[in-house]
Parts: sequence; C-alpha cells; structure tokens
Amino acid sequence: MVEHIAEMIIPQDDTPGARQAGVAEFIDFMVANRAPVSGSRDVRSTEDALEMGNEAQNRFILGLDWINTHCRAEFGRAFMDSTHEQQNSLLEELAYKTKFKPTTESGREFFQMMRDYTVVGYYTTKIGLESLGYPGLRTTWPKMPGCTHPDDPEHAHLREPTNPMIKTQQSTS
Amino acid sequence: MATKIYDVIVVGTGAGGGTAMKILCEAGLQVCAINSGPRTNPATDYRRHRQVYDLKYRGYGDPLRLKGKAHQEPYSVEESEYSEGRDLFEHDVAYSNAPGTDWYWKRCKGTGGKANFWGRSSARFGDIDFKAADLDGVGENWPVDYAEISPWFSKAERYMGVASTIQNRPSNPDGEYLPPMPWRCLDYIIQKGAEKIGVPYLPDRCAQLTIEHNGHLACHYCGNCSRGCDVGSFFSPTWFTIPEAEATKNLTLLTNALVRSILVDENGMAKGVAYVDRPTRKEVEVYAKVVVLAASCVETAHIMLNSKSRHWPTGIANSSGQLGHNLSDHLYGNPGYGYLPQLLGQPATPDNIADSTVTWMPRWQNLKNPREEKFIRGYSIYMGGGCGEFPGHYGQIEGFGSKYKKEIKRYYPTPVGALIQAPALPSPNNYIDIDPEKKDIFGIPQLRFHYEWGPNELLMWEHSKQVMIDLFNAMGGEMWGADAEPNRAGTSLHEVGVCKMGNDPKTSVTNKWAQAHDVQNLYICDASIFPTITDKTTTMPIVAFAMRTCDHMLDNFKQGVHKRA
Repeated sequence: MVEHIAEMIIPQDDTPGARQAGVAEFIDFMVANRAPVSGSRDVRSTEDALEMGNEAQNRFILGLDWINTHCRAEFGRAFMDSTHEQQNSLLEELAYKTKFKPTTESGREFFQMMRDYTVVGYYTTKIGLESLGYPGLRTTWPKMPGCTHPDDPEHAHLREPTNPMIKTQQSTS
Repeated sequence: MATKIYDVIVVGTGAGGGTAMKILCEAGLQVCAINSGPRTNPATDYRRHRQVYDLKYRGYGDPLRLKGKAHQEPYSVEESEYSEGRDLFEHDVAYSNAPGTDWYWKRCKGTGGKANFWGRSSARFGDIDFKAADLDGVGENWPVDYAEISPWFSKAERYMGVASTIQNRPSNPDGEYLPPMPWRCLDYIIQKGAEKIGVPYLPDRCAQLTIEHNGHLACHYCGNCSRGCDVGSFFSPTWFTIPEAEATKNLTLLTNALVRSILVDENGMAKGVAYVDRPTRKEVEVYAKVVVLAASCVETAHIMLNSKSRHWPTGIANSSGQLGHNLSDHLYGNPGYGYLPQLLGQPATPDNIADSTVTWMPRWQNLKNPREEKFIRGYSIYMGGGCGEFPGHYGQIEGFGSKYKKEIKRYYPTPVGALIQAPALPSPNNYIDIDPEKKDIFGIPQLRFHYEWGPNELLMWEHSKQVMIDLFNAMGGEMWGADAEPNRAGTSLHEVGVCKMGNDPKTSVTNKWAQAHDVQNLYICDASIFPTITDKTTTMPIVAFAMRTCDHMLDNFKQGVHKRA
C-alpha cells in the first residue's frame, strides 16, 4: 500500500517513478528506525529525536488505517481494493485545498507526511536526481559555467519550453 | 630525564592556531601544538564525491547517533551524515545556557577545526569597522586601523587565495584577488532587481581557488564544499598550514588532548598548559616559554577563566575583568525566500557546484551618514538558490501525480533565498562565565553562556525583511515567506569579543598585538580578540591577525623579551 501510494504521488512518466526508485523500502526503513524527515519539533537531544520519531511512526501507521477505514466507509472496500478513480479522488480530497472536507483532517495530515517521505525518498536517489537533471551528479567541471544569457540579464525573454504532459493532465482533470 | 620545554605551545589547530604553528615552526622555533580531538583525515572524514543516496539515512542521520553523549544537539552546518561514525565534532563536553539564553555552540574538535568546513567568505574589515565609534559615538574604536592591518590582509589573501573583483565600496576595502566565480542566471536577475532599489549585488570575496594557487589545485566544482574538500582547493588548515608546519620537523602535534588550564610560574607568567588526555582521562602537563591560545573564541576564554591561581583569582590575565565579556555574534536568519518566475521550466543549471557565496550584498546602510537608519552600523546579505542537491521547494506546490512531479522540475531552477549577517553590538548582558556547579565528564568546570539579541541587531533584522519584499518586487520574483525568528545565537560561528584587544589594560584583555596585557608570554590567535563584530566574516581576518601577532612574537624572541627554551 505504501509502495502504491508513493507511486501515485510520484508516478512513472517520462522518467521513472517512486516504485523504480525504491521509495517504499526507504519509507519502511525510516519509519521503522523512527527517523522523521519532516516535523516542526525542535530536536535538541536524542530524547527529542526519539519522541519525534515515535510520533512519526505512530502517526504513519494510524494514517494508513485511516485511509482504509475511510475507503471502507466511502467505497465499501479497503484502499487497495478500491478502483483507481476512487483512490485518486480520495487523495485529491487530501491534497488540494479546494477539495478539503472538515472530516478529513487526519487523512490530510497523513497525506502530507506520506508525501514528504515520498518526495524525500525519491529525490535522494540517483533516479530522482537524474529526473531533475541535478548537475552535482557530475563531480568534475573544468570551470563553473555560469549564465549563458548575459545579453538578457533580467532573463525577461526566456521562453518556457512547452510541456504537453501538463496540458493533457489539465484537460482531463 | 629532563622535562622537555618547548619554545611555544599553540592550543588549537584551526584558522588561527594552524597559521601560528606554521609561522613559528618555519621560523625555527620548537612548537608543541595541542588539539582537543583526533587528526582529521580527508580520505575518511570528508564527502569525497559520495552522493546523498550513498548514505543510509540519506543525510538525515541515525536518530540514535548521539545516544549517551553529553552534548546531543543535532547536525550543524559542518557536521553531517558524511562524517558520521567519525569523531570530529564535540559531543562529549557539555556547556550551560543561563536562563533565557539559547546559545548553540558548535565545535569541531578534529585538527583544523571548523576551518576545514567553513563558508569561505573573506572580506576585509575597513576603517568603517575599526573606527566605528568615531563615526557613531558608540563603544570604542579598535586599537588598530586599516593602514596598519591592510598589509596583513594582503599577506593572508596571497596565502589563502581569495576570488573576487575590485569594487571601490566604502564599507569594503578591496584586496588582492584571484579571478571571480562566474555569475549564474539567478545572480543577473537579482542584481538587476537590487540595482532598482539601490542595493549593491557583487561578487563575494570567496576563498575558493578559481585557478591553481601556490601549488594548491584549482577547484573542480564537485559541490558540497562544507563537507570538506577532497583536494584542498580552498584554504583549510588540513590542506595548508598543518602540513607546512609538519614539513619543518619543528612541530610536535598532540591529539585528543583537551586543554583545561594554563600553568603559571611564581610570577604569574605562563609556563605551560595542563590537558586531559581523552583516552586515558589522565591529566598531563606540557611546558613552554610562550603559550598561544587559539582554541576558538569562547573556548579560549573558557581555558583562561579556568586558569585560576594565586596571581589570577578570576582567571589568567583578567585584571581588567573583561575576560568573557563583550560576547558578540552575527545575527543570522532568512529574511525572505521565494522564486524567480523568469526561470520556470528552464533546464537545470549547475548553480551549487561551487557551493559558495558566489555573490553578496555588502553593507549599504549608514554609509553616507552613520545615523541615516533607525539602527547604527550595518549588515550584509548573502543570496543563494537555483538548482541544488534537493528540491526543497516541493512543499510550496500542491497536489500529487505526474503533474506534481513536473511542477517540481519546472520550479527546480527558480528558488532563491537570503541570509542576513547582522553584527550584534556589545552588551553587558552578553558574556560567558564558568558554571558555578556543573562540570563536564572530564571534571572541567563548564562554560556558561549569557546572551540575548539587542535592539540594534533586531532593527536590522526587521529592516532586511522589508528589503527582501522590495527586492522580490523589483526583480519580478514571488515571495514564499521569511523566517519568523532569527536563528539561534551561535549559529554563525563568528562570535568575537571575549578577550578583546585594546590599548588600555584596564578595559581590555590583550594589547593591539593580541598579547595579554598582564601576561606577556601569552598570546591569542583567534576571534576572541576582536572588540566588535562587523558585517563581515572572521576567518580571513583571524589568519591576518595571527600572522601579525606571530611576527610581533618573533620580534620579541629576537629582542630577548622571550628566551628560547
């Protein structure tokens, strides 16, 4: 289920998705070792870290339960047995402010946390960094290349490359 | 067996101590350098081109890594999972904060200290700093002026290698520079915006080798410099001063030796130091004709405060009562961050491969008239951003799925943020003393901090937030937010003042050569001697002042003020 939701958050498209990047294994490892990747608590000691890690672990497990309970109530089955449309509409309710409902607060907290783990888990892999074109993967540069448009210092005339995928998504949603 | 007596003991091997060791050894003196932690080894302790996916916790670190340690605060700028399992950072020695104080004391105990991992900004102080009291009537001038220090800045720059340009700014004397770093797209955009609101945006003085320098390789831009440089392409004791001192064969380097106090002779002069050998926890004494303290600002004062004797009931060389006082730090914080829509969807650019302050906004306030603003003196800002090691902007974007993933990539080149570097004015409320009750695990009385931000630096903080709003407007950026509060005191690692230099022995700890007024064979080679903090960083000036202090000390050896062992 963690692997499935992670892949919904960062799917395979023109670059690999969360599954291929092993995000679920990372999340399992971090949650099991009580290592949070987000949180507002100020960590000053091992005790703080443990408290925060325990809290993250509990919230994560309860969150997965919340998703299943919610799906059973709404769709009559657990999350993984719900249709793709049902899964998608639930996550949209948790992800987009305009679709928030007063009854889904715990679910939204879980989604936030799940998304944090997924994004961290994905963009700290070689696959994820390659999908961004992270330049630091190359470890020797003869010099720092710098800006290639010094004739347009304000960069007012750069053209944003068109992105057909975004348009398709918008027209179908 | 006769007890060995060295010419000089140098306590600490960082920016100042390393420089002192090198100069004194090269002059033919027998030097014993004492370092509180182990030897730093770039081959095992630094990042060495590893990526975040090579780390078990992907940089977040094992939450249990500090279990059982006396000092358990989390990773600082310099410390990271890359050095986990090594013993370079101080987690065994605890310190205290007085009620209301929240000082974050970050210590690197490996040889070379924090200067192995420093930020490399290297501006000169000017008379606007040395003679600030003449301009605004607050506090005292430094006992030196720019004309006197300028040749030493040149020496330090020539030795370290600093990349920048000639800028002719009243607050920032120009120096001797290597070619500057090229600007990134975001720098051009910010510069244009800054120009519209009358704020300078210029290449920083960056101690990073843009070309080969004195036999040190030019930077190969692997990034993540603050995790240690694998080839020594920026100044650090590990790659510069320590090997040069060792090459003379005049150096004895003791490691894992935590100095607790300075020993005095029957006249109250320094005759050596007492240290705790960490592995055995035994106390050991070493003797020398001259003692140099360069243990990092507050630790130097800690050792002196703990050096009590019949002659020095409140700590060695403290007849002025100023030891531990005048503690000042840079107020750090992010006064505004957001993104540059101009760069949306552009291909990733190598913006962080120099991992440095490529540019900065050097102090522009109170230049024409020292009382132009609501605050006195002034601050600087470093801006950064672009394509980094992690898309930290992901939280600003709503949603999930392929569209979300593409938006993360679309925004990847666009984020920009700021770091204010605002000098705190000395205040009677800000000082260090010895905790009357607590001792660390080695039995050494703990250092205690008393510190709060004062109104002047908080006015600068508020001012900088408005500047960022204006800047984002002027450069066509969109703001996401700003830090609600400045960072914890201590964050900048630039603290100064606790052994301040001055001409009057009644109001200062050392003379203008950083030689203790009361104890003429005790010198200090770190930032504790700086009477005030400026809008500039401290490392290059520490090196310059250490060079000058050692030159003076060598003169004193020549003239018989100090006798060789």
